Amino acid sequence: MGNEAIGRGIIEAGCKVAAAYPGTPSSEVLESLTRWKKELGHPIYLEWSVNEKIAFEVAYGASLAGARAAAAMKMVGLNVASDPFLSAAYLGVRGGLVVVVADDPGPHSSQTEQDSRFFAWFAKVPVLDPGTPAEALKMTVRAFDLSEKYQMPVLLRPCLRVCHARQNVGLSPPAPTADVGPFKRNWQRWAAIPRFRLVLHGELNEKIATMRREEPESQPALVHGGSGKRMALVTSGSVSSHVRDVVASDDRLSGVDVFKVDLPFPANEQALQAIADSYDRTLLIEETYPVLELQIKDRRKVVGRLSGHVPPQGELLPEVVEDLILSAAGEEPRDRTKPEIKPRRPSLCPGCPHRPSFFMIKKVFDHAVYTGDIGCYTLGINMGAVDTCLCMGASVGMAGGFVRVPPSEGETNVVATIGDSTFYHAGVPALINAVHTRAPFVLVIMDNHTTAMTGGQPTPADDFLADGSPATSVDMVRLVKGCGVNLVEVVDPYDHDALESALVNAKSHAFQDGGGVAVVITRRPCVRMPNAQRFTERFEVGEGCDRCMTCIRDLECPAFHYVKEEKRMEINTDLCSGCGFCVKICPAQAITSKGA
Amino acid sequence: MAELILCGRGGQGIVFLTRLIGQIMADKGLDVISSETHGMAVRGGSVNSHVRIGPFFSPLIRQGHADFLLSLDSSETANNIHFLKPDGLVVENSEAPSGSSVIRVDASGLARGLGRVQLENMVILGFAAALQGFPVSDEEISLQLAKDPREVVRTMNLRAAEAGMRAARSERYS
Repeated sequence: MGNEAIGRGIIEAGCKVAAAYPGTPSSEVLESLTRWKKELGHPIYLEWSVNEKIAFEVAYGASLAGARAAAAMKMVGLNVASDPFLSAAYLGVRGGLVVVVADDPGPHSSQTEQDSRFFAWFAKVPVLDPGTPAEALKMTVRAFDLSEKYQMPVLLRPCLRVCHARQNVGLSPPAPTADVGPFKRNWQRWAAIPRFRLVLHGELNEKIATMRREEPESQPALVHGGSGKRMALVTSGSVSSHVRDVVASDDRLSGVDVFKVDLPFPANEQALQAIADSYDRTLLIEETYPVLELQIKDRRKVVGRLSGHVPPQGELLPEVVEDLILSAAGEEPRDRTKPEIKPRRPSLCPGCPHRPSFFMIKKVFDHAVYTGDIGCYTLGINMGAVDTCLCMGASVGMAGGFVRVPPSEGETNVVATIGDSTFYHAGVPALINAVHTRAPFVLVIMDNHTTAMTGGQPTPADDFLADGSPATSVDMVRLVKGCGVNLVEVVDPYDHDALESALVNAKSHAFQDGGGVAVVITRRPCVRMPNAQRFTERFEVGEGCDRCMTCIRDLECPAFHYVKEEKRMEINTDLCSGCGFCVKICPAQAITSKGA
Repeated sequence: MAELILCGRGGQGIVFLTRLIGQIMADKGLDVISSETHGMAVRGGSVNSHVRIGPFFSPLIRQGHADFLLSLDSSETANNIHFLKPDGLVVENSEAPSGSSVIRVDASGLARGLGRVQLENMVILGFAAALQGFPVSDEEISLQLAKDPREVVRTMNLRAAEAGMRAARSERYS
């Protein structure tokens, strides 16, 4: 897998410290490092940091201390880490520092289609853009060398189609971990005040100019063709792989030359301009912003995103790429019927402890505004229990704003839901803010002991690190109390009555008694985790069912299936986890133990 | 050269199947590149994988290019049929009888018979291996599954794949 290849590259480059926060499509980078570490007995230090800003800072600290270091995250994670990232470009690094940022054109599992190459440009940080897993490995090692040569962070930007692609990849033996010598105090550099920042900015501009001029990767490399003057394709990253396959598979495109830029910022502007000038037409195909296109000054013979030829949003799938190339080459596009795709919507798993939490929130807080957050539990939208989803931690921050604009005088009814990992990530400062400002809302922290959506990475509540070595557990109840919350209750979401009474208490504390924010922690391990409780009991729907649809509409359990022809409700025992919560909530009390 | 689409619902073991086929091909020294679905969709949503064997750079199959479509859920077949080339073949997990370009096997039923419906992915693979032009053979699948160090997993996977292979043989003679 591309992410595993990047992990291997980090090991092969002799890296000593790697930190990450999980996020699709980047999570397997650090996961693969834990495997390499174990398999090879490698000394690398690994951590799942609390958030991406901290992951970057841990890696940056290790770099200043002299070691090679890496941080990995998804593209919206770079938004979180942007403060230290931009500043680090000015200060520079000591040991090679590589920031792996996975982009998600589509978007498939993300909030935005932002292009991290553009972010790198904004930060004045060089960015390498791999087209395949095999290239990703090589570029990772190269990124460390470039970082040390220019003493600046280097960004590696794989797209989803590289991260989650698998390919046979050749491995090299890992280089020994080395360092550039211990940290030496130099405040004018490492704690620069604005006067020195001006000097550093000048040095940064020099570095970028040198790189643009001298590094081979900033030159467009001819990867296909080379005979014609008819049309040039200029591309980079994962979409370059679609471009190469399309051109190679169609005889009508035999006169088309393909150029690929591995370092799209800073690209060699003169070389790009020379291509644009010497071909009748140059088509830019890059994902997702016109980074290379903008580095060509005279674009009179150039088509791409800026000219409107390439769609400004959406993933450039191979079919899209094929149509773009054929139409730019003046050829007939292929006759294709548009596929009719009706994707099945994702759902919380059967037995997911979030489901009873959402069900009961809906029951106890009728007509509330439900601010939601990022994780599996965003799927609370299916149950009508999530109204907003902005970014990590925003459920808590936004609740503080919603309560200031009540629908009518004195009426505030806002319930925020957040998962444990997301709470540690960005919910804590927002909760402090809510306590301090006496914001009256209920916060439900859905604590399933893991980062479930991304595959089950540990959280700060765990007493082990990414590689299993011991860690200190940060107790969530003490943390919430430490934020100044007066009402904190922990409850098992499978316990119907306790869950209801905890939410009712929180409701009166926050909305009637003027007690400020109340917190309910619904705690039970994710049903997918090895430590989840397993049940052998299964259930069936009896004669008493009056087809009220509560189980399907309100509980939204995927194990329930309505057999239309027979007008009968059925429980799929392959899917059912045996949690039994449905027994308690069926208004007709028609659900009973199977075979009882 | 061969191109395969595998499709189904999140949780049906599509990723495991993709990796298995990829590993067999890579061990044979062939160039293989594949693409998987991760993230939100794996919570019971639509998932598919692309497997391409040959000198490709891109991990994605273009519309109308796949030789086979392996569908673990018949309601997902329509979402992926556009990838299939005109003379391509659908192999579908279904109780219904086979058609002209759709070959069906009750992989869920056979897997349930072995005690775990989750083995349906191995059943369909074993079944497909018997088809003309399918890139992996019975023997290669068995050899690869036999490498799993976890005894229970190894035994169950092998049994499921063999159940699929047997179903293919009886289909051929019926």
